[in-house]
Amino acid sequence: MSEVPPTAARSGRSWRDISQEVKPRAMSKKGRRRQYTGWLKAGGITVLVGGLVYGVFHLVHEWQTDRVAFADTVNSEPVRHLAVRTDRGGTLTEKWVAQILALPKGATLMALDLPALRNRLTAQGQVRMAVVTRKFPNTLEVTLQERTPVARVQALDARGLAKQLFVAMDGTVYDGTNYDQQMVSGLPWLDGIRLVRQGPGYAPVVGMADVSALLTTAQIEAPHLYRTWLVVSLATLADRDEITVKAQEIAVIIFSRKESFQKQIARLDYILDRAHERPEVGLSSINLALAGQVPVKFERSPEELAQPEYTSRFTLPKTLQRKAQRDF
Amino acid sequence: MTSNNGRIVGAVEIGTSKIAVLVGEIAHGRSLNIIGVGLAQSRGVMKGEVVDYKTVCEATHHALEMAESKAGTRLDEVWLAQTGGHLDGFYNEASVNVQSADNTVTQLDIERVCTLAQQKELPAGRSRIHAIRRPFCLDGRAVPDPEHLTGSRLDVGYWMVHGQESKVSDNIHVVGGYHLEVRELVLAALASGSLLTTTEDRLRGALVLDIGKGVTDFVLYRDGHVLATGVLPVGGDHLTNDLAIGLRVTTMQAEALKLRWGRGTVQTRDKSEKVWLNGDMSFGDRQLPKSAIELITTARTQELLEVVLHKLGSRFSPEHCGAGIILTGGTAKLPGIADAATKVFGLSARCGESPAWVKDELKDPMFSTVLGIYQFGLRAAHEHPSPIPRKPGLFSGLTKMFS
Repeated sequence: MSEVPPTAARSGRSWRDISQEVKPRAMSKKGRRRQYTGWLKAGGITVLVGGLVYGVFHLVHEWQTDRVAFADTVNSEPVRHLAVRTDRGGTLTEKWVAQILALPKGATLMALDLPALRNRLTAQGQVRMAVVTRKFPNTLEVTLQERTPVARVQALDARGLAKQLFVAMDGTVYDGTNYDQQMVSGLPWLDGIRLVRQGPGYAPVVGMADVSALLTTAQIEAPHLYRTWLVVSLATLADRDEITVKAQEIAVIIFSRKESFQKQIARLDYILDRAHERPEVGLSSINLALAGQVPVKFERSPEELAQPEYTSRFTLPKTLQRKAQRDF
Repeated sequence: MTSNNGRIVGAVEIGTSKIAVLVGEIAHGRSLNIIGVGLAQSRGVMKGEVVDYKTVCEATHHALEMAESKAGTRLDEVWLAQTGGHLDGFYNEASVNVQSADNTVTQLDIERVCTLAQQKELPAGRSRIHAIRRPFCLDGRAVPDPEHLTGSRLDVGYWMVHGQESKVSDNIHVVGGYHLEVRELVLAALASGSLLTTTEDRLRGALVLDIGKGVTDFVLYRDGHVLATGVLPVGGDHLTNDLAIGLRVTTMQAEALKLRWGRGTVQTRDKSEKVWLNGDMSFGDRQLPKSAIELITTARTQELLEVVLHKLGSRFSPEHCGAGIILTGGTAKLPGIADAATKVFGLSARCGESPAWVKDELKDPMFSTVLGIYQFGLRAAHEHPSPIPRKPGLFSGLTKMFS
């Protein structure tokens, strides 16, 4: 059949083009009353629907958070085992995890609030990520990813006593537990930073990404140099993009974070090699932060170095020969 | 018309004598259940046109409120009857050559010819109310649906009904003042005609006359289609006015005399037979010749019917009007009016009767237009269904629950 209705008002001006809007003044009292009633009803329905939605949300939320009721429904068993898996091979032990979680005695597996337990673990700076899962019938499994310390820093505790803290690659400052003492003693100290309190801990150290990159590069490319580094200073990092390292042999080694750390370390290695050929010439500072040039400061003045006793000697004294200063 | 699913639709007629409102629940676009009625005496309407906006609003809104209150629900939309002397109609046709090489008529040909036939511009300030299609003609033969038929020339004609935009707008705004939207506008004559004629009547040909207080609406059917519609600004008050002038009585007294003693044909032979003006022996009550009353009302009735016949002109022919004349409206209750119509049109005439599905309390001719609005709308929706509207959502369900 034709799609065109026999009574349709199609082209031209149709009565449908007439605006049906009526100004409020042209409405009768009954019309206005009807309009307000309509608005009130619409408002009431909106509030009712909103209330219903909120009610449903609240119920769901309660259902999810009311672990005891949920546990009763599921009828689960009390937690008997705690299985801990870490990525660092046992630094954080089951005992430590149990101490942090402080599970109530006789708590059933379903009654546990897993997000809260997870938050309790991640509140510890040493834990970077934690996954807490139920393993039915009675095991709580905890999987941890730990932070790796790249430096140490000294701070004062609440009683005013010096305390050693660790700084991770992401700048997190935390109180480490169960670390190997040899590894800890091999970490350089951080200097030139100001620890700022944040909540129960400290705010992350700014610029640690660059420091971590330098230390990691040194550790991989020139471990013999890294072992001699005692203090890493961030004092001039913000102003001049420079990281200052104090080593056993040289008081000041300046690195630039704008340049490749690998190249700077290679230059340092070369300079130190050349310096060992002239052991009588002690180095006091090396600036690797200037592109193309590496100013080196000697321990002795040029007049002293001009003396024949310094020009004739070609062997390194035992004290200046490179050797491992710390054992790992 | 759009098909509706479980919608509460109001049918409104703003007449010269009364304002009628029906509240109907339309389910699945075709099932109607009338659940409320509102009736108010009309004020501020003359010859079917709004002349006093505030007064009309008060009366209409009272009727709407009454209907809503009786139905116990709120109206979603309104289908409004349109009448008035400003309404007019004309016939416009177009023809196209069938485009396909094998002369098979396609939907494209049908749309093209329909668009062309409706493209007639209207005079300034006029708005189109209806474009009523007549049957298609394919190479001169009438076909209801020419699609897939073979022929070279396709013709179609439209009966275009239009009205003065400002007057149509007044009617719509009266409803809008009650914070309701007019979804459909239905010519009063088409509404009455839809209700009072059967498919067979329309096929045989019929003339429906809705004689109200201020206007007379008519619709002429031939071969199952609307051939012509019209509105005359003459109605029952024409008879009342002449009675008032002829018998020197007030309009109210004349109206009472018309209702009590008026006739469409003279029946009283005894010229000395008198009737009391008021009948209560009050001061000023006097006797009037009954034959004079009948003579005046008969003359005016005949005149009114002759005006209709004149307006129809050559479009009306008794041989194409097998179902005869069907009378409705308040004035159709005048005794002998059917005989008068028979005399004028040369055809059998009868007072229209509502279909069996109409409740007894709504069978009065004054409801024929409002009932016809539903009939017309539902038939149009049934014959030309529009896409099924989206099912009411949760929000509308809640709205209904609280309405």
